[in-house]
Amino acid sequence: MPRIHLGDWVDSGVSWLVDHLSWLFDAVRAVMEGMYDGIDAVLAAPQPLLMAGILAVLAWWLRGLLAGVLAFAGFALVDSLDLWDRAMSTLALVLVATVIALVISIPLGILAARSKAVSAAVRPVLDLLQTMPSMVLLIPAMLFFGLGTAAGVVATLIFALAPGVRMTELGIRQVDAELVEAAEAFGTAPRDILWRVQLPLALPTIMAGVNQVIMLGLSMVVIAGMVGTGGLGGAVNEAIGQLDIGYGFEAGVGIVVLAVYLDRVTGALGTQLSPLGRRAAAKAPTRAWSYRPRPAVAVAGAVVLALVAGGLGIFGSSTGTSEASGTDVGKGKEIRIGYIPWDEGIASTFLWKELLEERGFKVTTTQYAAGPLYTGLATGQLDFQTDSWLPTTHAEYWTKYGKQLDDLGKWYGPTSLELSVPSYVKDVNSLTDLEDHASEFHGKIIGIEPSAGMMSLLKSKVLKEYGLDGAYDVVDGSTPAMLAELKRAYARKEPVVVTLWSPHWAYSDYDLKKLEDPKGAWGRGDGVHTLARKGFAANNAQVGQWLKDFSMTEEQLTGLEARIQKSGRGKEQDAVRDWLRQHPGLVDQWAPVAARDGATSQAAG
Amino acid sequence: MERLREGADRAELRADGTTAAVIDASFRVAAGEIFVVMGLSGSGKSTLLRMLNGLLEPTAGSVRFDGRDLTALSDRALRELRSRKISMVFQHFALFPHRSVRDNAAYGLEVQGVPRAERERRADEALALCGLAGWETSWPDELSGGMQQRVGLARALATDADVLLMDESFSALDPLIRRDMQDQLLELQKTLKKTIVFITHDLNEAMRLGDRIAVMRDGRIVQTGTAEDILLRPENDYVASFIQDVDRSRVLTAGALMDTSVTADAPLCGCETATRETPFTRLCAISARLSHRVSVVDEANRVIGVVPRQRLVGFLGDETAGPAPCDNPEGKVISRA
Repeated sequence: MPRIHLGDWVDSGVSWLVDHLSWLFDAVRAVMEGMYDGIDAVLAAPQPLLMAGILAVLAWWLRGLLAGVLAFAGFALVDSLDLWDRAMSTLALVLVATVIALVISIPLGILAARSKAVSAAVRPVLDLLQTMPSMVLLIPAMLFFGLGTAAGVVATLIFALAPGVRMTELGIRQVDAELVEAAEAFGTAPRDILWRVQLPLALPTIMAGVNQVIMLGLSMVVIAGMVGTGGLGGAVNEAIGQLDIGYGFEAGVGIVVLAVYLDRVTGALGTQLSPLGRRAAAKAPTRAWSYRPRPAVAVAGAVVLALVAGGLGIFGSSTGTSEASGTDVGKGKEIRIGYIPWDEGIASTFLWKELLEERGFKVTTTQYAAGPLYTGLATGQLDFQTDSWLPTTHAEYWTKYGKQLDDLGKWYGPTSLELSVPSYVKDVNSLTDLEDHASEFHGKIIGIEPSAGMMSLLKSKVLKEYGLDGAYDVVDGSTPAMLAELKRAYARKEPVVVTLWSPHWAYSDYDLKKLEDPKGAWGRGDGVHTLARKGFAANNAQVGQWLKDFSMTEEQLTGLEARIQKSGRGKEQDAVRDWLRQHPGLVDQWAPVAARDGATSQAAG
Repeated sequence: MERLREGADRAELRADGTTAAVIDASFRVAAGEIFVVMGLSGSGKSTLLRMLNGLLEPTAGSVRFDGRDLTALSDRALRELRSRKISMVFQHFALFPHRSVRDNAAYGLEVQGVPRAERERRADEALALCGLAGWETSWPDELSGGMQQRVGLARALATDADVLLMDESFSALDPLIRRDMQDQLLELQKTLKKTIVFITHDLNEAMRLGDRIAVMRDGRIVQTGTAEDILLRPENDYVASFIQDVDRSRVLTAGALMDTSVTADAPLCGCETATRETPFTRLCAISARLSHRVSVVDEANRVIGVVPRQRLVGFLGDETAGPAPCDNPEGKVISRA
């Protein structure tokens, strides 16, 4: 068979689109982000409990008293888990994606129901969108729309479109042909047949589709979190990346509360919108827990709550204080840092967040997987990242994106890559010892993400050098999975061999042995580099200089990492602040300000 | 069409994947009459009906209404015509389940753009006419089958269309309700004088309702005529076999049975007479009381024909030939001594 270069065609197609249609993508992106910002602003403006009250009144009105009470309890739980803002931004994201999905899918479903040709053309496209693994489409979406909301909305859309189209088509096709004929026999125009007969009768099915759109959208927020949409999906991603089971569960619970709420509310909305559904609901016996207020009462209740919320919001916003000091270099300028959830990445990122905020910048930090991080940097969505392992580990990314990036130099090194075993595994001290102990390890080396540079180095070079090719399989997985396996095996004192690198906190948590590499197959160690988007350092000379001059000793880095590890998730910056307080002078060393008393004249760079 | 003209029949065409539903059907419906198209399922009668209001377009031939050729009208003009002039009643009622009884009845008026107050008034009138006063705010699924079809009828009547197309409208109802509905339709027709084209597969229904009946077979009309024409003078074996099961006593009247060769200015005796409309059963009763033929008289008491008893017995037995000669006409008992 000849090799069909489908991948190459897609590659060049995507770059052509990026080069020639960027104006279109920018416009789409602007629309999506505008919608998202608007909805998010509305949802996040009121006090959490007031907003919970408004959402509960909505549920009460649509479904009954019990639903209202449970909705309030659910949202109060989300608030008490400290996930309110994230939940609201996820809700906003899902709403935007749903609205756009419906605007596209319902007319498309109507067309498909009326024309066999359209139906036949649309079906395979829907199949493709629905079954293509989402990450495969996410990366091009990121190239088109950049990191953040728009890419997340698109990722959600792609997945959620299909049920909207399918259920609309199905609903309309299901309408009794005799009814359509009756409408025709009374001289109804085709458009009116749609509005008077087909849509009202298809409404329950269409609403089931809407419900599916929302549910699938919600199930995609975790994927969307990978491209930096934040929200609950972002929280889940962070938790997975940092193996934080408890936090992951909390964020998961938040998603479940949203999902159940949206499911029940849209289900009830379907009933209320359709005349048949309303009749069925009216016939059902009324009980205390299903008592529903009349629409006027519900609307009045929601309005009162909204007004109270608005009032509080106004008072709340006036209490903000502005900070002014002589070291205000940034004057509120925004800087966006992205990071991989590796410990040195977290430590250095939050260190720079603290340093830059100290200097008057507004800093946002977002966690990504390596691929999206480099893409985001290359497309200018992010300003810099501090955790690039060069020249070896991240070589592939550097080859692909290096031209669009500025290397601001190494701040730590050398690093090392290695295979490690717990120290209770006797007789295995070097890579040369592995061959004889293959059965002890069940012939498995626990790997990390197959995309990691370290993994290809292991498979293509290290195994061969030590003749381990036949004896061992490298298990592809993820860093958290590898660490979980290490934790499990360590607790049971089972032999295990894992891929690991230094610096890593695992060496301080567990008693591990790095296997010696007498043949030097892993190569020389990498340096940890800071990479910035092209032009960032030139436009922000002061910050660029700070980053270029930045370096940390092993003692400093491991000390900071240990402090962050101890403080726990969500308190990274507090840990950095404490650590900096204990090491006075470092702030001025890493981010020197030329003349502290004349800082007002200092250009922001 | 080409192939049909060349003599291909329906079975041959079906083998090619097409169906010729209606092949040859020419007829005229006079204003104010009930014209019944009768045929077995698959005979093309429903297709024929849908060509009358332009829901289906004939591949050849024309449909004329008030002198206009429907096949030449634009879609818009056709819709206008369907909305105002020709309404339809369906086999399975085809009521809109998401509309109340009143809104169903008012549907045609809504399409015409009649203001709400007026269309509801007219819908209520049509419902009252169909015996549904008081049910206006009910929903279709709360009504029995017969009542649902009354709503269907009211919906068709509400637009004041001149022509009513009824597609097996009573076939889905059980026999007693069906009779009620037939009676009610005839009752309404006395005052409304609509032009009705009624499709049915039930010959008894056709005979009961139809001023004239067209019998269809395999897409062709094989005979058109009054109930009596069909019953007494079937034009071919198909029609003849069809009418075997008909309860003739319900359909036939003195006018159809009488021997018109005997006329007179007045009855010869003072005995009981029949009129043209006297139904068969009543005619039998009269005949049983008389020793001679029953005279049939018109409004002026002129004899326009007579009905001999043999004829009554003969028609009941589907025998149209006269009595055969007998070697013992007197009926004497022949002794075997």
